[in-house]
This record gives sequence, structure tokens and C-alpha cells, in this order.
Amino acid sequence: MAHLPYVEYDDGDAVTKQIYDKTEARFQMVLNIFKITGHAPEMAEKMWEIFFDILQEGDISWYDKELLILKATKMGDCFYCVTQHEAVSARLGVTPEKQADIVGVEYQNSPHYEPNEVAMLDLCAHVVLDPENIPWETWEAVKKYYNDAQIVEIVATIGAYLQVSKFGDALGVELEDVWVGHQPVLFNAEPPTSKAAQGHFEHFISQTPNV
Amino acid sequence: MAVVKLVEKPIAGTEAVYQASEEFFGHVPNLVKALGSNKNMCNSITNFMIQSLGEGRISWAFKELIVLKTLKAMNSHYSYGAHEKIAGELGVSDEKLGDLQNSLWEQSPHFTEAEKLVFHLIRQIAIDANDVQASLWERLKEHWDYGQLIEINAVITTFLMIGRVGDALGVTDSVLFTKPLSNN
Repeated sequence: MAHLPYVEYDDGDAVTKQIYDKTEARFQMVLNIFKITGHAPEMAEKMWEIFFDILQEGDISWYDKELLILKATKMGDCFYCVTQHEAVSARLGVTPEKQADIVGVEYQNSPHYEPNEVAMLDLCAHVVLDPENIPWETWEAVKKYYNDAQIVEIVATIGAYLQVSKFGDALGVELEDVWVGHQPVLFNAEPPTSKAAQGHFEHFISQTPNV
Repeated sequence: MAVVKLVEKPIAGTEAVYQASEEFFGHVPNLVKALGSNKNMCNSITNFMIQSLGEGRISWAFKELIVLKTLKAMNSHYSYGAHEKIAGELGVSDEKLGDLQNSLWEQSPHFTEAEKLVFHLIRQIAIDANDVQASLWERLKEHWDYGQLIEINAVITTFLMIGRVGDALGVTDSVLFTKPLSNN
């Protein structure tokens, strides 16, 4: 159970209803993470605008952004985000084999990854872990493939998903019922490093019906 | 030197957010200029940053303490000095700012129980956001309402993002506000 109650549509104010309507139109459902922000609509309105902007084609492709989101949120052990984006990225054409190879440094030698994607994911790993120690070679590789507007989008996507994943995980936001039965890819390829995240993962697996 | 070129004159679609930055900060911060080559990211991240600063459900002065503690906890450097300056201008004493460091706040007489619980939350989010205990949230709820707790969590995680983005891009803003804070 989340640490704060979700605000359902009928209980939301006008701004909240507007956000939920937009969310429903974009994602076909109002996710729990949106519902928990209904307690502070003025903050939610500005916060979610970032994600509406990211989750579409931009200066870099939505496909590339999904790779960044999977990498950044997997490194942060965010089971909620990884599950959602395993599904979104699959719809955009990221195969389960490619998803699985994003863990650790597997992507660097994976036949599923192009050199530009490897450069982008190397940068992602450094930004998540320690931006103070991004090697110049990493920037050189990124700059070989991406211009300034694209680099901004890469770094902003990583930053934004660190933000929302910590926001949701801290509040204990739960996966929606629709995910019961989903077969996790990334966390099966590499278990969570956090003991608490491992607990969330095992709880989810225990709910999966035997097929 | 930033990794990307700082965009001095707004590109199409960012004029309004540059103008909003001028009005809010008194100038366009370097972070906004660094984001300036990407219309969507410049708009949404700058607007969210502006929303996160200023008076809200919690006081701006306390938000600044949250920002400072978050930047420290995440080992982020972007705009730390600027936020110390803002906190000082909002009336936060040097003693209080000093006691924010490492674990000094735990025993400091300058912070209330409600404030200390928020620093516990920041520390736990920095260590492992998956492991924030229900008991901590229960104690937080004794002092803060739901809207305040969402705002607190949003400010923490926003500046986790801002710190990461600013540091990764190599941006500095030693001064964020060049106009009196009372005008906001």
C-alpha cells in the first residue's frame, strides 16, 4: 500500500481532472503515480508536463528515450518504472533480447546495440552514478553522434526519470492491477541490488498466476 | 565550460520561458540557457523549477533547506552556493545552515522535529528510495498534510534531477536571483 492515498478522479479539483484527462488520452489509463500527486495539483501540473514532453518523438527518437529510461530506472532499482517502460519500449520495437542486454555493461558488447546507443547508455550510467566523473572519452563518443539539442534531451531524460522514480519509490507507489502476470525482463536478467527493491520484486512475482 | 553551448537568444518556442525566467530570477540562469537548444526540455524543466521555488504549501525558506540538503546528500554541486545565498536572504541563520551539514542536524537545537523528519526522508531517498519505512511516513504525517508531503517529495526529487542535469552538463549558476526575492 502506498504511503499516501491516491486521489481518484471524482475527488480531484479542476486542475487534477485536467491532468487525469490528459493522462488518460496519452496512456489509456491514469497511473497510480499520477493519482498520488492529486494532493498538490499545482505541483503535479508542472511536473507531469516534463514527462508528456519526453514520452513522444523529440530531438532524439522516443525509442532512444525508452532505452535511457530503462537504463536509468533499472540502475535505480525502480521496479514500477522498469515494468511500465518494458511495455512501452516493446510497443516501440525494443525486443526482449535488447531489453535484457541493457543491464550492467552487457549492452556494450551486445549485437542488439548500435554504437550511438552504446555511447548514449555509457553516458547514462555515468550521470546516474556520478556526473562528477564522466570521462572525456564518454562525451567524445556522445558528441560524435548527437548535437547539443539532442544531448540536452538525453541528459534531461535521465534526470527526469531519476526524479520520478525516486518520487514514486519513496511514496511506495504500487503497480496497477493490470500488470499482474507481466513477465519482468530486466529484473530477471539482473536482480535488484536493493534489498527493499528485491522484496517488491519477489512480492510481484508471487502474485503472478502459474501458466 | 559547459558541455553544450549556452543559448543566449531564445530559439523559436522558448521566448516565453526565457521571459518567465527574466521575470522570476531577474535574469536567465545558465541552466536555462544550457537547456535552450531543446525547446521542450527548456520549457518544461524551467517551468517546473520555477514552480518548485517560492512560497508554496511549505515556506520558501524551508524549501531552500530541502534543496541544500538534497544537493549535499546526492553529492551534487550545481547552484549549491546560490541556494545558500537565497536561504540567507530568506532569513535562515548561518548557524542553521551550518547545522544542515552531515548528521549535525540530528542534534541541532535550530531545527524542529518536523524539519528533522524531512531530512531523514532526504537521507533515505539518497541511500535507497525503495526503503523509506512506513514508520517514517507515519511520523511525517503527524506534522505535515498530504499536499505538503507531496510538495516536499517533489522538491527533493526535483533538485535531485536539477543537480544531476546541471552537473552533467557542466553548468554553473553562482547566483540564481538578481532581483529581490520579496518580488516573487
